[in-house]
Amino acid sequence: MENSYGYQVSLEAFQGPLDLLLFLIRKKKVDIHDIPIAIITREYLDYLEHKDRINLENEGEFLLVAALLIHIKSQMLLPREAALEEEKDPRRALVERLLDYQNIKAACSILREKEKGRIKSWRREFPPRGPAPDDTDFMEVSLFDLAEMFFALMKRQARRDIRVIKGKEYSLKEKTRELIALLRKNGYLDLREYFESQTSLNEALLAFLCLLHLIKNRVVMAAQESLFSPIKAWLRPEPET
Amino acid sequence: MKTHIASILEALIFVSQDPVTLEKLADLMSDFTREEIEQALEELRSKFDVRESGVRLVRSAGGWLFETAPEIDPWIRRFLRHDRKSRLSPAALETLSSIAYNQPATLAEISALRGVDSTHSLKTLLQKKLVKITGRRKSPGKPLIYRTTHRFLTYFGLDSLKDLPSQEEIAKILDEEKNDDSIPKPEE
Repeated sequence: MENSYGYQVSLEAFQGPLDLLLFLIRKKKVDIHDIPIAIITREYLDYLEHKDRINLENEGEFLLVAALLIHIKSQMLLPREAALEEEKDPRRALVERLLDYQNIKAACSILREKEKGRIKSWRREFPPRGPAPDDTDFMEVSLFDLAEMFFALMKRQARRDIRVIKGKEYSLKEKTRELIALLRKNGYLDLREYFESQTSLNEALLAFLCLLHLIKNRVVMAAQESLFSPIKAWLRPEPET
Repeated sequence: MKTHIASILEALIFVSQDPVTLEKLADLMSDFTREEIEQALEELRSKFDVRESGVRLVRSAGGWLFETAPEIDPWIRRFLRHDRKSRLSPAALETLSSIAYNQPATLAEISALRGVDSTHSLKTLLQKKLVKITGRRKSPGKPLIYRTTHRFLTYFGLDSLKDLPSQEEIAKILDEEKNDDSIPKPEE
């Protein structure tokens, strides 16, 4: 888009307000240590005004920095008795942030080059090892298998639930932690046994949700030795040693 | 016995998914000295290089690892029915290097450095196992702290965090940008 200020890049092209500021500083060829706040603020606001509306969710940060720029300008306009010492320059904190961010950006461009070269090399990826050293070949189970097993268990659990006095209320976080701790301790879990050990339907449901979540995030894998054999879950080995 | 050192090393690295460290090798192969092993590894590496093998032995993340030569990439992709390995998004890359240089770092610190909320990028990086949670900071709210992983090093072909772009390299890039008279363009 052309306008009186030269070409205009849309706001979406920038990673954030600092990115936009650095861009403007380079474009206007001003010294980052001595930013002419009025000029840069004008340019900066121009970018924001170019949009019909600001999406607060994604672009609220741009407004925050706009406010900061105006605040800095107002600070600089205040009459002072003594000349400004360098540490008291209202621009200082912002300049430091910009310098830090600029370093990160430069490091990114070097890493990007490395990535370009690396992305063409392949390394082996093994399926995770089973619980026993002489493990047979396990097959990873699908969501469908998991759900089927769970619903069958849940039906049974539903009948049992009537007899249970409401137990402890768990949060997803607590339950996930408990599940991971159990996996760490035992090496693996028989999922049928695990779900059956839950005291209430609610708790079982929560445990199932946790499990799905952990599988999705590739923390845990669920597998079975053969079709219809017990489904077991264990932690995926960490890439680290 | 000593004639077999290269074969043993080759096989050990072959069956390993993660880079095999010299320490581990020295530990396993107590018949040989560290120096012998190191020398054998170097020889092995050049052996693969000389015959323009489709597989190369590389140093990565503090250990040794086999990987394919970049030229073979198109065939491998066809073989694995893998379209193309995706690159990190600009936001994810920025978040990743913010963590790499400031680790251990909290989400708030990363977001402050970038000037944008980094929750989403951080999640992507965790999923890709390029960063990991290593604990909580002992400050109000006990925020989680993040570090880069070994996979991060392998991803960029770094041997250790010391191989991250140095201050000099960064200064060089900034200098080039400064002297570049063309109108700057944001990435992508």
